[in-house]
Amino acid sequence: MADTVKVGVLFSCTGPYAAIGRDCRDGAALAFEEAARGDGGAVSFVPVHADPEGEPRAYLEQARAMLREAGCRHIIGTITSLARKEVIPLVEKHDGLLWYICPYEGFEANENVIYTGPCPNQHLMPLFDHLLPRQGRRVYLIGANYVWGWEMNRIARDLLRDAGGEVVGERYLPIDETDVGRLIADIRHHRPDFILNNLIGPSSHAFLRAYRALGDADPAFRPEVRPVVSCDLTEAEIGEIGLGLSTGHLAAASYFGTLATPENERFRARAAAAFGPDHRLSAFVEGAYVAVHMLMDAVRSAGSDEPAAVRAAVHARLFETPHGPMRIDPRTNHAALPFHLGRIRDDGNFDIIASRPAIAADPYMTAPRDGGRSSLRVVS
Amino acid sequence: MTAIPDLVGRRAVILHRPDDGTQRLVRQLGLLGLNAHVQWAPLDLQATPADIVLVDADQGWPGLLPWSGRPASVPLVALLQSEAPGRVAWAIAEGALAILPKPVAPSAVYPALVLAVTAHARAVETAVRMERLEERLRMRPLVHAAVRAIERAARCDEEAAYAALRRAAMKRRITIEQTAAEMLAGVIPLSEAG
Repeated sequence: MADTVKVGVLFSCTGPYAAIGRDCRDGAALAFEEAARGDGGAVSFVPVHADPEGEPRAYLEQARAMLREAGCRHIIGTITSLARKEVIPLVEKHDGLLWYICPYEGFEANENVIYTGPCPNQHLMPLFDHLLPRQGRRVYLIGANYVWGWEMNRIARDLLRDAGGEVVGERYLPIDETDVGRLIADIRHHRPDFILNNLIGPSSHAFLRAYRALGDADPAFRPEVRPVVSCDLTEAEIGEIGLGLSTGHLAAASYFGTLATPENERFRARAAAAFGPDHRLSAFVEGAYVAVHMLMDAVRSAGSDEPAAVRAAVHARLFETPHGPMRIDPRTNHAALPFHLGRIRDDGNFDIIASRPAIAADPYMTAPRDGGRSSLRVVS
Repeated sequence: MTAIPDLVGRRAVILHRPDDGTQRLVRQLGLLGLNAHVQWAPLDLQATPADIVLVDADQGWPGLLPWSGRPASVPLVALLQSEAPGRVAWAIAEGALAILPKPVAPSAVYPALVLAVTAHARAVETAVRMERLEERLRMRPLVHAAVRAIERAARCDEEAAYAALRRAAMKRRITIEQTAAEMLAGVIPLSEAG
Protein backbone atom coordinates (compact mmCIF):
# COMPACT_ATOMS: atom_id res chain seq x y z
CA MET A 1 0.00 0.00 0.00
CA ALA A 2 1.08 3.56 -0.63
CA ASP A 3 2.61 5.17 2.45
CA THR A 4 0.54 8.28 1.91
CA VAL A 5 -3.20 8.35 1.36
CA LYS A 6 -4.68 11.61 0.14
CA VAL A 7 -8.23 12.43 1.19
CA GLY A 8 -10.26 15.22 -0.40
CA VAL A 9 -12.00 17.52 2.09
CA LEU A 10 -14.72 19.39 0.20
CA PHE A 11 -16.78 21.74 2.35
CA SER A 12 -18.03 25.27 1.69
CA CYS A 13 -16.55 27.37 4.49
CA THR A 14 -17.72 30.62 2.95
CA GLY A 15 -21.13 31.31 1.41
CA PRO A 16 -24.64 30.92 2.80
CA TYR A 17 -24.15 27.74 4.84
CA ALA A 18 -20.52 28.44 5.81
CA ALA A 19 -21.05 27.84 9.54
CA ILE A 20 -21.89 24.20 8.80
CA GLY A 21 -18.95 23.85 6.43
CA ARG A 22 -16.51 25.23 9.00
CA ASP A 23 -17.70 22.71 11.61
CA CYS A 24 -17.29 19.88 9.09
CA ARG A 25 -13.80 21.07 8.16
CA ASP A 26 -12.82 21.41 11.84
CA GLY A 27 -14.06 17.94 12.73
CA ALA A 28 -12.15 16.41 9.82
CA ALA A 29 -9.01 18.39 10.71
CA LEU A 30 -9.11 17.16 14.32
CA ALA A 31 -9.25 13.53 13.17
CA PHE A 32 -6.35 14.02 10.75
CA GLU A 33 -4.30 15.72 13.49
CA GLU A 34 -4.95 12.90 15.93
CA ALA A 35 -3.82 10.38 13.33
CA ALA A 36 -0.69 12.39 12.57
CA ARG A 37 0.16 12.65 16.29
CA GLY A 38 -0.45 8.98 17.04
CA ASP A 39 1.76 6.19 15.76
CA GLY A 40 -0.88 5.62 13.04
CA GLY A 41 1.00 2.63 11.63
CA ALA A 42 2.71 2.68 8.28
CA VAL A 43 0.20 4.93 6.53
CA SER A 44 -0.01 8.69 6.73
CA PHE A 45 -3.16 10.49 5.69
CA VAL A 46 -2.97 13.86 3.96
CA PRO A 47 -6.07 16.03 3.62
CA VAL A 48 -6.49 17.90 0.33
CA HIS A 49 -8.69 20.92 1.07
CA ALA A 50 -10.97 22.87 -1.24
CA ASP A 51 -13.71 25.43 -0.59
CA PRO A 52 -16.44 25.57 -3.27
CA GLU A 53 -18.13 28.53 -1.51
CA GLY A 54 -21.55 27.00 -2.09
CA GLU A 55 -21.23 27.09 -5.92
CA PRO A 56 -22.40 23.86 -7.62
CA ARG A 57 -19.97 24.32 -10.51
CA ALA A 58 -17.04 24.76 -8.09
CA TYR A 59 -17.94 21.49 -6.36
CA LEU A 60 -17.66 19.75 -9.72
CA GLU A 61 -14.34 21.36 -10.67
CA GLN A 62 -12.72 20.89 -7.28
CA ALA A 63 -13.88 17.28 -6.91
CA ARG A 64 -12.54 16.59 -10.40
CA ALA A 65 -9.17 18.10 -9.45
CA MET A 66 -9.05 15.98 -6.28
CA LEU A 67 -9.80 12.77 -8.17
CA ARG A 68 -7.78 13.42 -11.33
CA GLU A 69 -4.88 15.59 -10.30
CA ALA A 70 -4.35 15.21 -6.55
CA GLY A 71 -4.76 11.43 -6.60
CA CYS A 72 -7.56 11.24 -4.01
CA ARG A 73 -9.74 8.14 -4.08
CA HIS A 74 -11.81 9.33 -1.13
CA ILE A 75 -13.63 12.61 -0.69
CA ILE A 76 -15.35 13.64 2.50
CA GLY A 77 -17.75 16.40 1.84
CA THR A 78 -20.69 18.18 0.29
CA ILE A 79 -23.45 19.51 2.50
CA THR A 80 -26.49 20.13 0.29
CA SER A 81 -28.07 17.42 -1.85
CA LEU A 82 -27.53 19.67 -4.86
CA ALA A 83 -23.76 19.54 -4.31
CA ARG A 84 -23.76 15.82 -3.49
CA LYS A 85 -25.62 15.06 -6.73
CA GLU A 86 -23.05 17.13 -8.65
CA VAL A 87 -20.13 15.18 -7.22
CA ILE A 88 -21.53 11.61 -7.28
CA PRO A 89 -21.25 11.02 -11.06
CA LEU A 90 -17.56 12.00 -10.92
CA VAL A 91 -16.90 9.76 -7.95
CA GLU A 92 -18.63 6.91 -9.79
CA LYS A 93 -16.63 7.56 -12.94
CA HIS A 94 -13.32 7.44 -11.05
CA ASP A 95 -14.54 4.60 -8.83
CA GLY A 96 -13.90 6.57 -5.67
CA LEU A 97 -15.83 6.84 -2.42
CA LEU A 98 -17.71 9.89 -1.21
CA TRP A 99 -18.17 10.18 2.56
CA TYR A 100 -21.36 12.14 3.16
CA ILE A 101 -22.00 13.12 6.77
CA CYS A 102 -25.01 15.46 6.69
CA PRO A 103 -28.68 14.89 7.42
CA TYR A 104 -30.54 14.63 4.13
CA GLU A 105 -33.96 13.81 2.66
CA GLY A 106 -33.24 10.18 1.70
CA PHE A 107 -34.13 8.37 -1.54
CA GLU A 108 -30.58 7.51 -2.45
CA ALA A 109 -28.25 4.59 -1.74
CA ASN A 110 -25.27 4.87 -4.03
CA GLU A 111 -22.57 2.18 -4.02
CA ASN A 112 -19.89 4.86 -4.15
CA VAL A 113 -21.16 6.83 -1.16
CA ILE A 114 -20.91 6.09 2.57
CA TYR A 115 -23.75 7.93 4.34
CA THR A 116 -23.08 8.70 7.99
CA GLY A 117 -25.76 11.37 8.45
CA PRO A 118 -29.41 10.58 9.19
CA CYS A 119 -32.18 10.19 6.59
CA PRO A 120 -35.94 10.75 7.30
CA ASN A 121 -36.65 7.49 9.13
CA GLN A 122 -33.84 8.54 11.49
CA HIS A 123 -34.81 12.20 11.96
CA LEU A 124 -38.25 13.27 10.74
CA MET A 125 -40.17 10.08 11.52
CA PRO A 126 -39.01 9.66 15.15
CA LEU A 127 -39.43 13.43 15.57
CA PHE A 128 -43.10 13.23 14.56
CA ASP A 129 -43.58 10.03 16.59
CA HIS A 130 -42.50 11.98 19.63
CA LEU A 131 -44.02 15.35 18.91
CA LEU A 132 -47.47 14.76 17.35
CA PRO A 133 -49.02 13.13 20.45
CA ARG A 134 -47.51 15.75 22.78
CA GLN A 135 -47.54 18.98 20.82
CA GLY A 136 -50.48 18.54 18.44
CA ARG A 137 -51.11 17.64 14.83
CA ARG A 138 -51.76 21.00 13.18
CA VAL A 139 -48.41 21.75 11.55
CA TYR A 140 -47.12 24.64 9.45
CA LEU A 141 -44.43 23.51 6.96
CA ILE A 142 -41.69 25.85 5.77
CA GLY A 143 -38.74 24.95 3.59
CA ALA A 144 -35.89 25.98 1.36
CA ASN A 145 -36.83 26.26 -2.28
CA TYR A 146 -34.94 23.16 -3.41
CA VAL A 147 -35.05 19.40 -2.95
CA TRP A 148 -34.36 19.36 0.83
CA GLY A 149 -37.29 21.62 1.62
CA TRP A 150 -39.62 20.17 -1.02
CA GLU A 151 -38.98 16.54 -0.15
CA MET A 152 -38.89 16.92 3.64
CA ASN A 153 -42.24 18.67 3.53
CA ARG A 154 -43.68 16.09 1.15
CA ILE A 155 -42.72 13.34 3.61
CA ALA A 156 -44.13 15.44 6.47
CA ARG A 157 -47.44 15.78 4.56
CA ASP A 158 -47.56 11.99 4.12
CA LEU A 159 -46.79 11.35 7.79
CA LEU A 160 -49.40 13.88 8.90
CA ARG A 161 -52.05 12.42 6.62
CA ASP A 162 -51.40 8.94 8.03
CA ALA A 163 -51.45 10.29 11.60
CA GLY A 164 -54.71 12.18 11.12
CA GLY A 165 -52.89 15.51 11.30
CA GLU A 166 -53.30 18.65 9.27
CA VAL A 167 -50.96 20.83 7.20
CA VAL A 168 -52.23 24.31 8.05
CA GLY A 169 -49.75 26.12 5.79
CA GLU A 170 -46.80 25.49 3.52
CA ARG A 171 -44.28 28.09 2.30
CA TYR A 172 -40.93 28.03 0.53
CA LEU A 173 -38.11 30.57 0.56
CA PRO A 174 -34.82 30.79 -1.37
CA ILE A 175 -31.75 30.18 0.86
CA ASP A 176 -30.77 33.87 0.74
CA GLU A 177 -34.27 35.31 1.28
CA THR A 178 -34.45 37.17 4.59
CA ASP A 179 -37.75 39.00 4.06
CA VAL A 180 -39.96 36.77 6.20
CA GLY A 181 -42.70 39.27 7.15
CA ARG A 182 -45.50 37.63 5.14
CA LEU A 183 -44.54 34.18 6.36
CA ILE A 184 -44.65 35.33 9.99
CA ALA A 185 -48.04 37.01 9.41
CA ASP A 186 -49.44 33.83 7.86
CA ILE A 187 -48.22 31.72 10.79
CA ARG A 188 -49.75 34.21 13.21
CA HIS A 189 -53.04 33.91 11.35
CA HIS A 190 -53.09 30.09 11.29
CA ARG A 191 -51.80 29.44 14.84
CA PRO A 192 -50.29 25.97 14.16
CA ASP A 193 -49.38 23.58 16.99
CA PHE A 194 -45.77 23.78 15.79
CA ILE A 195 -43.71 24.80 12.77
CA LEU A 196 -41.54 22.33 10.87
CA ASN A 197 -38.57 24.37 9.67
CA ASN A 198 -36.76 23.03 6.60
CA LEU A 199 -35.31 26.40 5.66
CA ILE A 200 -31.56 26.65 5.18
CA GLY A 201 -28.94 29.28 6.03
CA PRO A 202 -29.80 32.99 6.10
CA SER A 203 -33.54 32.48 5.51
CA SER A 204 -33.74 30.07 8.46
CA HIS A 205 -31.81 32.47 10.72
CA ALA A 206 -33.97 35.44 9.67
CA PHE A 207 -37.11 33.41 10.29
CA LEU A 208 -36.06 32.35 13.79
CA ARG A 209 -35.17 35.95 14.70
CA ALA A 210 -38.51 37.24 13.40
CA TYR A 211 -40.40 34.46 15.17
CA ARG A 212 -38.69 35.46 18.41
CA ALA A 213 -39.96 39.02 17.89
CA LEU A 214 -43.46 37.64 17.28
CA GLY A 215 -43.24 35.63 20.53
CA ASP A 216 -42.16 38.77 22.40
CA ALA A 217 -45.18 40.63 21.04
CA ASP A 218 -47.68 37.78 21.43
CA PRO A 219 -47.05 35.11 24.11
CA ALA A 220 -49.10 32.58 22.07
CA PHE A 221 -46.03 32.28 19.85
CA ARG A 222 -43.44 31.64 22.50
CA PRO A 223 -41.39 28.44 21.98
CA GLU A 224 -43.04 26.62 24.89
CA VAL A 225 -46.44 27.12 23.21
CA ARG A 226 -45.70 26.82 19.47
CA PRO A 227 -42.10 25.69 18.93
CA VAL A 228 -40.12 25.75 15.68
CA VAL A 229 -38.74 22.28 15.00
CA SER A 230 -35.85 21.48 12.64
CA CYS A 231 -33.98 18.40 11.44
CA ASP A 232 -30.75 20.17 10.49
CA LEU A 233 -30.36 23.01 13.00
CA THR A 234 -27.32 22.43 15.21
CA GLU A 235 -24.94 24.20 17.60
CA ALA A 236 -23.07 25.35 14.45
CA GLU A 237 -25.74 27.91 13.56
CA ILE A 238 -27.13 29.13 16.89
CA GLY A 239 -24.50 31.88 17.00
CA GLU A 240 -25.46 33.01 13.48
CA ILE A 241 -29.05 33.46 14.61
CA GLY A 242 -27.87 35.35 17.68
CA LEU A 243 -27.30 33.66 21.06
CA GLY A 244 -30.51 33.48 23.04
CA LEU A 245 -32.79 34.35 20.11
CA SER A 246 -33.74 30.76 19.28
CA THR A 247 -33.81 29.51 22.88
CA GLY A 248 -36.54 26.96 23.58
CA HIS A 249 -36.99 25.73 20.00
CA LEU A 250 -36.36 22.10 19.09
CA ALA A 251 -34.14 20.13 16.74
CA ALA A 252 -33.57 16.48 15.92
CA ALA A 253 -30.01 15.16 15.55
CA SER A 254 -27.97 12.00 15.95
CA TYR A 255 -25.52 13.90 18.15
CA PHE A 256 -25.53 16.92 20.45
CA GLY A 257 -22.45 18.34 22.14
CA THR A 258 -24.11 17.95 25.55
CA LEU A 259 -24.56 14.18 25.17
CA ALA A 260 -23.59 12.78 28.58
CA THR A 261 -21.69 9.58 27.82
CA PRO A 262 -18.11 8.58 28.63
CA GLU A 263 -17.32 8.43 24.88
CA ASN A 264 -18.54 11.98 24.40
CA GLU A 265 -16.71 13.21 27.52
CA ARG A 266 -13.48 11.99 25.95
CA PHE A 267 -14.35 13.64 22.61
CA ARG A 268 -15.23 16.90 24.36
CA ALA A 269 -11.86 16.93 26.11
CA ARG A 270 -10.01 16.42 22.82
CA ALA A 271 -12.10 19.03 21.04
CA ALA A 272 -11.61 21.51 23.88
CA ALA A 273 -7.85 21.09 23.55
CA ALA A 274 -8.08 21.73 19.80
CA PHE A 275 -10.77 24.42 19.52
CA GLY A 276 -10.85 25.97 23.00
CA PRO A 277 -13.09 25.13 25.98
CA ASP A 278 -16.08 27.26 24.87
CA HIS A 279 -16.38 25.90 21.35
CA ARG A 280 -19.84 24.36 20.87
CA LEU A 281 -19.76 20.88 19.33
CA SER A 282 -22.33 20.00 16.68
CA ALA A 283 -23.33 16.88 14.77
CA PHE A 284 -21.31 18.35 11.87
CA VAL A 285 -18.03 18.55 13.84
CA GLU A 286 -18.63 15.13 15.31
CA GLY A 287 -19.86 13.65 12.02
CA ALA A 288 -16.79 14.72 10.05
CA TYR A 289 -14.50 13.62 12.90
CA VAL A 290 -16.16 10.20 13.00
CA ALA A 291 -16.16 9.76 9.22
CA VAL A 292 -12.46 10.59 8.85
CA HIS A 293 -11.51 8.22 11.66
CA MET A 294 -13.71 5.53 10.14
CA LEU A 295 -12.09 6.08 6.74
CA MET A 296 -8.59 5.85 8.20
CA ASP A 297 -9.41 2.75 10.28
CA ALA A 298 -10.96 1.06 7.26
CA VAL A 299 -7.97 1.86 5.02
CA ARG A 300 -5.62 0.43 7.67
CA SER A 301 -7.61 -2.75 8.12
CA ALA A 302 -8.13 -3.18 4.38
CA GLY A 303 -4.41 -2.66 3.80
CA SER A 304 -5.33 -0.46 0.83
CA ASP A 305 -7.18 2.71 -0.08
CA GLU A 306 -8.85 0.86 -2.95
CA PRO A 307 -12.54 1.85 -2.58
CA ALA A 308 -14.07 -1.64 -2.85
CA ALA A 309 -11.70 -2.98 -0.17
CA VAL A 310 -12.32 0.05 2.06
CA ARG A 311 -16.08 -0.32 1.65
CA ALA A 312 -15.88 -4.00 2.62
CA ALA A 313 -13.81 -3.05 5.69
CA VAL A 314 -16.38 -0.42 6.64
CA HIS A 315 -19.22 -2.94 6.39
CA ALA A 316 -17.36 -5.53 8.45
CA ARG A 317 -16.82 -3.47 11.58
CA LEU A 318 -18.43 -1.72 14.48
CA PHE A 319 -16.91 1.75 14.98
CA GLU A 320 -16.61 3.45 18.35
CA THR A 321 -17.80 7.06 18.09
CA PRO A 322 -18.70 9.89 20.49
CA HIS A 323 -22.41 9.11 19.86
CA GLY A 324 -21.90 5.39 20.57
CA PRO A 325 -20.96 2.32 18.52
CA MET A 326 -21.84 2.76 14.85
CA ARG A 327 -22.39 0.23 12.08
CA ILE A 328 -22.76 0.83 8.32
CA ASP A 329 -25.41 -1.33 6.66
CA PRO A 330 -23.88 -3.16 3.65
CA ARG A 331 -27.26 -3.09 1.91
CA THR A 332 -27.69 0.70 1.94
CA ASN A 333 -24.20 2.06 2.82
CA HIS A 334 -26.00 4.11 5.50
CA ALA A 335 -25.11 4.34 9.20
CA ALA A 336 -27.50 3.17 11.89
CA LEU A 337 -27.91 6.27 14.09
CA PRO A 338 -29.48 7.20 17.41
CA PHE A 339 -32.20 9.85 17.52
CA HIS A 340 -32.04 12.75 19.95
CA LEU A 341 -34.44 15.63 20.35
CA GLY A 342 -32.77 18.74 21.69
CA ARG A 343 -34.09 22.01 23.08
CA ILE A 344 -31.97 25.08 22.41
CA ARG A 345 -30.45 26.79 25.47
CA ASP A 346 -29.35 30.37 25.95
CA ASP A 347 -25.70 29.33 25.64
CA GLY A 348 -26.29 27.83 22.17
CA ASN A 349 -26.11 24.23 23.34
CA PHE A 350 -29.06 21.82 23.49
CA ASP A 351 -30.77 20.05 26.36
CA ILE A 352 -31.58 16.54 25.20
CA ILE A 353 -35.24 15.93 26.02
CA ALA A 354 -35.88 12.62 24.23
CA SER A 355 -33.71 9.87 22.73
CA ARG A 356 -33.97 6.59 20.89
CA PRO A 357 -31.17 4.04 20.44
CA ALA A 358 -29.63 3.50 16.98
CA ILE A 359 -32.19 3.16 14.18
CA ALA A 360 -31.20 1.33 10.97
CA ALA A 361 -31.43 3.63 7.96
CA ASP A 362 -34.31 3.01 5.55
CA PRO A 363 -33.43 5.55 2.84
CA TYR A 364 -36.32 4.63 0.53
CA MET A 365 -38.77 4.38 3.45
CA THR A 366 -39.94 0.93 2.42
CA ALA A 367 -40.55 -0.43 5.92
CA PRO A 368 -44.22 -0.74 6.81
CA ARG A 369 -45.44 2.00 9.10
CA ASP A 370 -48.39 2.20 11.47
CA GLY A 371 -51.35 1.59 9.22
CA GLY A 372 -49.32 -0.92 7.21
CA ARG A 373 -48.26 1.24 4.30
CA SER A 374 -44.79 2.16 3.17
CA SER A 375 -44.23 5.66 1.96
CA LEU A 376 -42.55 4.82 -1.35
CA ARG A 377 -45.45 6.10 -3.36
CA VAL A 378 -44.75 8.29 -6.32
CA VAL A 379 -47.88 10.37 -6.46
CA SER A 380 -48.94 11.76 -3.15
CA MET B 1 -45.24 -1.60 -36.27
CA THR B 2 -44.72 1.76 -34.64
CA ALA B 3 -43.63 4.47 -37.03
CA ILE B 4 -40.45 6.20 -35.85
CA PRO B 5 -41.04 9.95 -35.79
CA ASP B 6 -38.78 12.19 -37.82
CA LEU B 7 -37.01 14.58 -35.45
CA VAL B 8 -35.09 16.57 -38.07
CA GLY B 9 -35.83 20.27 -38.00
CA ARG B 10 -37.79 20.17 -34.76
CA ARG B 11 -37.21 22.93 -32.25
CA ALA B 12 -36.17 21.79 -28.77
CA VAL B 13 -36.20 24.03 -25.72
CA ILE B 14 -34.09 22.96 -22.72
CA LEU B 15 -35.29 24.50 -19.46
CA HIS B 16 -32.18 24.11 -17.32
CA ARG B 17 -29.39 26.25 -15.88
CA PRO B 18 -26.72 26.35 -18.59
CA ASP B 19 -23.81 24.06 -17.63
CA ASP B 20 -21.55 21.37 -19.13
CA GLY B 21 -24.50 18.99 -19.22
CA THR B 22 -26.72 21.32 -21.25
CA GLN B 23 -23.81 21.88 -23.66
CA ARG B 24 -23.52 18.14 -24.21
CA LEU B 25 -27.28 17.94 -24.67
CA VAL B 26 -27.36 20.79 -27.23
CA ARG B 27 -24.55 19.10 -29.16
CA GLN B 28 -26.35 15.75 -29.22
CA LEU B 29 -29.68 17.32 -30.20
CA GLY B 30 -27.83 19.08 -33.04
CA LEU B 31 -26.46 15.76 -34.26
CA LEU B 32 -30.02 14.41 -34.27
CA GLY B 33 -31.11 17.31 -36.47
CA LEU B 34 -32.89 19.43 -33.87
CA ASN B 35 -32.32 23.09 -33.09
CA ALA B 36 -31.91 23.48 -29.35
CA HIS B 37 -32.26 26.54 -27.18
CA VAL B 38 -31.35 26.67 -23.47
CA GLN B 39 -33.08 28.95 -20.97
CA TRP B 40 -33.66 28.93 -17.21
CA ALA B 41 -36.82 30.98 -17.02
CA PRO B 42 -40.54 30.24 -17.49
CA LEU B 43 -41.30 29.19 -21.05
CA ASP B 44 -43.57 31.35 -23.20
CA LEU B 45 -44.44 29.34 -26.30
CA GLN B 46 -45.49 32.48 -28.19
CA ALA B 47 -42.05 34.05 -27.79
CA THR B 48 -40.12 30.76 -27.95
CA PRO B 49 -41.93 28.21 -30.11
CA ALA B 50 -41.01 24.61 -29.26
CA ASP B 51 -41.80 21.20 -30.70
CA ILE B 52 -40.15 19.36 -27.80
CA VAL B 53 -39.35 20.56 -24.28
CA LEU B 54 -36.70 19.08 -21.97
CA VAL B 55 -37.08 20.31 -18.39
CA ASP B 56 -34.88 20.11 -15.28
CA ALA B 57 -37.11 18.05 -12.99
CA ASP B 58 -34.63 18.37 -10.08
CA GLN B 59 -35.09 22.14 -9.86
CA GLY B 60 -38.29 22.81 -11.83
CA TRP B 61 -41.20 24.59 -10.17
CA PRO B 62 -44.92 24.89 -10.96
CA GLY B 63 -45.23 27.69 -13.49
CA LEU B 64 -41.95 26.96 -15.30
CA LEU B 65 -43.92 25.24 -18.07
CA PRO B 66 -46.66 27.21 -19.82
CA TRP B 67 -49.31 24.49 -19.49
CA SER B 68 -49.00 23.99 -15.72
CA GLY B 69 -52.04 22.04 -14.57
CA ARG B 70 -53.29 21.30 -18.11
CA PRO B 71 -52.18 18.62 -20.60
CA ALA B 72 -48.77 19.36 -22.14
CA SER B 73 -49.13 20.90 -25.59
CA VAL B 74 -45.80 19.46 -26.83
CA PRO B 75 -43.80 16.32 -25.93
CA LEU B 76 -42.01 16.75 -22.59
CA VAL B 77 -38.83 14.99 -21.41
CA ALA B 78 -37.77 15.21 -17.74
CA LEU B 79 -34.05 15.70 -17.03
CA LEU B 80 -33.71 13.99 -13.67
CA GLN B 81 -30.94 13.14 -11.26
CA SER B 82 -32.87 13.07 -7.99
CA GLU B 83 -34.65 9.92 -6.87
CA ALA B 84 -36.95 11.89 -4.60
CA PRO B 85 -40.57 10.79 -5.17
CA GLY B 86 -41.70 14.41 -5.03
CA ARG B 87 -39.52 15.24 -8.03
CA VAL B 88 -40.74 12.25 -10.06
CA ALA B 89 -44.32 13.23 -9.18
CA TRP B 90 -43.63 16.81 -10.34
CA ALA B 91 -42.36 15.52 -13.69
CA ILE B 92 -45.46 13.35 -14.12
CA ALA B 93 -47.78 16.18 -13.12
CA GLU B 94 -46.20 18.47 -15.73
CA GLY B 95 -46.76 15.80 -18.39
CA ALA B 96 -43.31 14.23 -18.83
CA LEU B 97 -43.48 11.19 -21.10
CA ALA B 98 -39.83 10.14 -20.84
CA ILE B 99 -36.99 10.57 -18.35
CA LEU B 100 -33.45 11.41 -19.39
CA PRO B 101 -31.13 10.71 -16.42
CA LYS B 102 -28.48 13.26 -15.51
CA PRO B 103 -25.60 13.48 -16.14
CA VAL B 104 -26.85 13.05 -19.70
CA ALA B 105 -25.34 10.16 -21.64
CA PRO B 106 -25.50 11.12 -25.34
CA SER B 107 -26.70 7.62 -26.22
CA ALA B 108 -29.80 8.07 -24.05
CA VAL B 109 -31.06 11.21 -25.82
CA TYR B 110 -32.49 9.77 -29.04
CA PRO B 111 -34.52 6.94 -27.43
CA ALA B 112 -35.97 9.36 -24.87
CA LEU B 113 -37.01 11.83 -27.60
CA VAL B 114 -38.61 9.12 -29.76
CA LEU B 115 -40.50 7.76 -26.76
CA ALA B 116 -41.78 11.19 -25.73
CA VAL B 117 -42.77 12.24 -29.26
CA THR B 118 -44.54 8.94 -29.96
CA ALA B 119 -46.32 8.88 -26.61
CA HIS B 120 -47.41 12.49 -27.08
CA ALA B 121 -48.81 11.78 -30.57
CA ARG B 122 -50.76 8.83 -29.14
CA ALA B 123 -52.07 10.91 -26.28
CA VAL B 124 -53.28 13.60 -28.70
CA GLU B 125 -54.93 10.97 -30.92
CA THR B 126 -56.62 9.36 -27.93
CA ALA B 127 -57.85 12.72 -26.68
CA VAL B 128 -59.42 13.51 -30.09
CA ARG B 129 -61.12 10.11 -30.20
CA MET B 130 -62.37 10.53 -26.66
CA GLU B 131 -63.83 13.90 -27.49
CA ARG B 132 -65.63 12.45 -30.51
CA LEU B 133 -67.06 9.58 -28.47
CA GLU B 134 -68.16 11.90 -25.69
CA GLU B 135 -69.88 14.08 -28.26
CA ARG B 136 -71.74 11.06 -29.64
CA LEU B 137 -72.69 10.01 -26.13
CA ARG B 138 -74.11 13.45 -25.48
CA MET B 139 -76.17 13.24 -28.71
CA ARG B 140 -77.58 9.80 -27.88
CA PRO B 141 -80.92 11.09 -26.52
CA LEU B 142 -81.46 12.97 -29.81
CA VAL B 143 -81.02 9.74 -31.77
CA HIS B 144 -83.60 8.03 -29.56
CA ALA B 145 -86.00 10.91 -29.97
CA ALA B 146 -85.57 10.93 -33.76
CA VAL B 147 -86.13 7.16 -33.98
CA ARG B 148 -89.37 7.49 -31.99
CA ALA B 149 -90.50 10.38 -34.23
CA ILE B 150 -89.85 8.28 -37.36
CA GLU B 151 -91.72 5.33 -35.81
CA ARG B 152 -94.76 7.51 -35.30
CA ALA B 153 -94.59 9.25 -38.71
CA ALA B 154 -93.91 6.13 -40.76
CA ARG B 155 -95.85 3.73 -38.49
CA CYS B 156 -92.94 1.31 -38.40
CA ASP B 157 -91.04 -0.46 -35.65
CA GLU B 158 -87.90 0.76 -33.95
CA GLU B 159 -85.53 -1.29 -36.09
CA ALA B 160 -86.95 0.03 -39.34
CA ALA B 161 -86.94 3.60 -38.00
CA TYR B 162 -83.27 3.32 -37.04
CA ALA B 163 -82.41 1.89 -40.48
CA ALA B 164 -84.22 4.80 -42.11
CA LEU B 165 -82.30 7.28 -40.00
CA ARG B 166 -79.00 5.63 -40.99
CA ARG B 167 -79.92 5.78 -44.69
CA ALA B 168 -80.68 9.48 -44.40
CA ALA B 169 -77.33 10.07 -42.69
CA MET B 170 -75.40 8.10 -45.30
CA LYS B 171 -77.14 9.93 -48.13
CA ARG B 172 -76.00 13.26 -46.66
CA ARG B 173 -72.60 11.96 -45.53
CA ILE B 174 -73.12 13.26 -42.02
CA THR B 175 -73.28 11.42 -38.69
CA ILE B 176 -76.44 9.75 -37.42
CA GLU B 177 -76.39 12.12 -34.44
CA GLN B 178 -76.30 15.17 -36.68
CA THR B 179 -79.08 13.77 -38.91
CA ALA B 180 -81.21 13.11 -35.84
CA ALA B 181 -80.66 16.64 -34.58
CA GLU B 182 -81.56 18.16 -37.95
CA MET B 183 -84.68 16.00 -38.25
CA LEU B 184 -85.90 17.03 -34.83
CA ALA B 185 -85.17 20.65 -35.72
CA GLY B 186 -87.19 20.29 -38.89
CA VAL B 187 -84.24 20.91 -41.22
CA ILE B 188 -84.63 17.42 -42.68
CA PRO B 189 -88.28 16.34 -43.14
CA LEU B 190 -89.29 13.20 -41.24
CA SER B 191 -91.01 11.95 -44.39
CA GLU B 192 -87.63 11.59 -46.06
CA ALA B 193 -86.59 9.00 -43.52
CA GLY B 194 -89.81 7.10 -44.06
